[in-house]
Amino acid sequence: MAAPLLHQRDFDRTTLRPRHLALMPKLAEAYFAYDGPMDPARLAVFTKEVDRAISTASKTLRFGLVLMLDVIMWSPLFIIGKLSTFEGLSLEDRASYLTRLERSRIVPLALIFVAWKTLLTMVFFEEPEELAVLGYPGPARTRYLTVVSST
Amino acid sequence: MTSVSPEAHAADNCDAILHGREQEAPFFAKVDVVIVGSGSGGAVMARELARDGRSVLVVEEGGHFLPSEYGAMSPSNSIRRLAREAGLAVAVGRGDTPLISVMSGKCVGGSSVLTGGVCFRIPDEILHEWSTDHGLGELTPEKLAPYFEEVERTIHVETVPEAMRSRSSQLFVEGAAAMGVKMKSLRRNTKGCHGQARCNFGCPHGAKMSVDLSFLPDAYAHGAKVISDALVERIDFSMNRATGVRGRFLDGRTGEPRVPFTVQAKVVVVACGSLHTPVLLRRSGMDTAAIGKHLTLHPGFRICGLFDEEVNGWDGAMQSIYSDHFESDGITLVGVYSAVNVLAAGMPGIGKEHRRVAAEMPRMAVFGGMVHDDGGGRVHRWLSREPLVTYRMSARDRARMFKGIQILGTMAFRAGAREVLLPVFGSEPFKTEKELEFLTERPPSAQRVESMAFHPLGSAKMSRDPRGGVVKPTGEAWEADNLIIADGSVLPSSIGVNSQVPVMAMSLKIARGLCDDWARYARRA
Repeated sequence: MAAPLLHQRDFDRTTLRPRHLALMPKLAEAYFAYDGPMDPARLAVFTKEVDRAISTASKTLRFGLVLMLDVIMWSPLFIIGKLSTFEGLSLEDRASYLTRLERSRIVPLALIFVAWKTLLTMVFFEEPEELAVLGYPGPARTRYLTVVSST
Repeated sequence: MTSVSPEAHAADNCDAILHGREQEAPFFAKVDVVIVGSGSGGAVMARELARDGRSVLVVEEGGHFLPSEYGAMSPSNSIRRLAREAGLAVAVGRGDTPLISVMSGKCVGGSSVLTGGVCFRIPDEILHEWSTDHGLGELTPEKLAPYFEEVERTIHVETVPEAMRSRSSQLFVEGAAAMGVKMKSLRRNTKGCHGQARCNFGCPHGAKMSVDLSFLPDAYAHGAKVISDALVERIDFSMNRATGVRGRFLDGRTGEPRVPFTVQAKVVVVACGSLHTPVLLRRSGMDTAAIGKHLTLHPGFRICGLFDEEVNGWDGAMQSIYSDHFESDGITLVGVYSAVNVLAAGMPGIGKEHRRVAAEMPRMAVFGGMVHDDGGGRVHRWLSREPLVTYRMSARDRARMFKGIQILGTMAFRAGAREVLLPVFGSEPFKTEKELEFLTERPPSAQRVESMAFHPLGSAKMSRDPRGGVVKPTGEAWEADNLIIADGSVLPSSIGVNSQVPVMAMSLKIARGLCDDWARYARRA
């Protein structure tokens, strides 16, 4: 009997709650926007993909990840003194806030920045158009042909 | 038999693999040997015992995927399906220690599916230390050589041809040469590598001879069976003897444990790897003091050099060179690369600044290294079925890590890099060799270093007496009869080199001992 297709075998568990689903596009935009706001439809698709990516992890790790999101959500009050949650900030303020986190002397805060940036970047730069912008030509390779032709 | 094509593998093994997620009714089996885990340790055990005529059942928590499917997965898709904790597992640093990302496999084939394919034997000096200081006289280079030879034959270990070196690796060689350091060609378990530089996500061409393509098909041919998506929750004991395992199949929809299974066996082999073997032993009620202690990781690091020329580091073998020049400092240098999106994740800054650096990807080379470490790690059982791993880096290893990063950065500049990105959170790109001196003169907190590990070892180590470890030199647990441990957790100390071949060779030795002494084990059962 043939195995079912890959995506049919994925567990359909999800992790992000509504408040995180609202936060995620704003977080992704702050990490990746470089010439103005990003397309909301694209960010919505991206958010779902991130949810799928983390949902195979254990309960404890998923709890840790959403706890970090909650810290990101509420900490602007304490770190940059803005009376707002993260998603209520302007794009410029969100970017500035994340830069503060990355350079924070409080290591756990920097680690929160790094953990989510690593995860989001991996998923974001997997899209073919983003890979093309980075100059990645796709899976075609030539170097091994030298070895093949010499044997 | 050494290997099969991916297509033949898919066609031949349908009957040998039972998908636990499809099971609706409780399951019971009675076999000679049940093996928990299908990675480098478990697969070797399965083949040897099946060849010896034993009925063998391998129970694997992860899913079963075909080699053709590895190529159909993007890197993040691959990690979430094939790796533990969706690739996000970490060792939590204690004291001035980095948070270390620890990659391990959770699929049929285990971590061997996710390695770069690098193959080393255990260095002679390490074996001398084991056979003298640790009193393990069976582990000399001479006595282990036949096992290494057989493993290397089976998984097709070959030297990476120079022509397969990526431009990134060539620049590493040039930078090293400028410092008077000679790089050597690595050996890998490949057959027909296309140089996709994505070995860490499952080889898309079935060219990497991971155990699902080498040892396991041979085990299937001799009657062994594998159950995937099956979580073993405890080992059963009668008196002081292991009698089987029990657990639950993972639900096909939610991934949570659901339908129960029980396997009775004359011998139980635990091969869940260094992170999960201790958890299973503890959950099963074992209280040997050394369980979960002495974990070593080989903390790794990498730097990126930005050059003026086109590097296109993705074209060529992911890993092809290494240097043991700094062996006396406990540092091994290794050529590395990874998927473009994974590399982008390690670049500094956000928004425009991140985009500026990421757009340099075609002109970027990556140099890597790892530390031959002390056993500062511990595996704890805690809230979920995944362990809590903690790691305290010794002052010696911290100094080694910063020295290694400085060496790599210097090599990048000597090779012509105009900017170097260090694995230190919040640091700006460096523009001169002199700027790197702070790494050894005024090093930053190690907690800010981005580190990763791929070789967790030693958490149920082998010892000459019951007070020093968890298993006897035969691989049998000191605390229970007929319970064999055969994975990286039994290695007595850090080895300073990639561990897949050492784990396979050690398992092969343990398996041969078990086969030779089968009558005694069977009599006890």
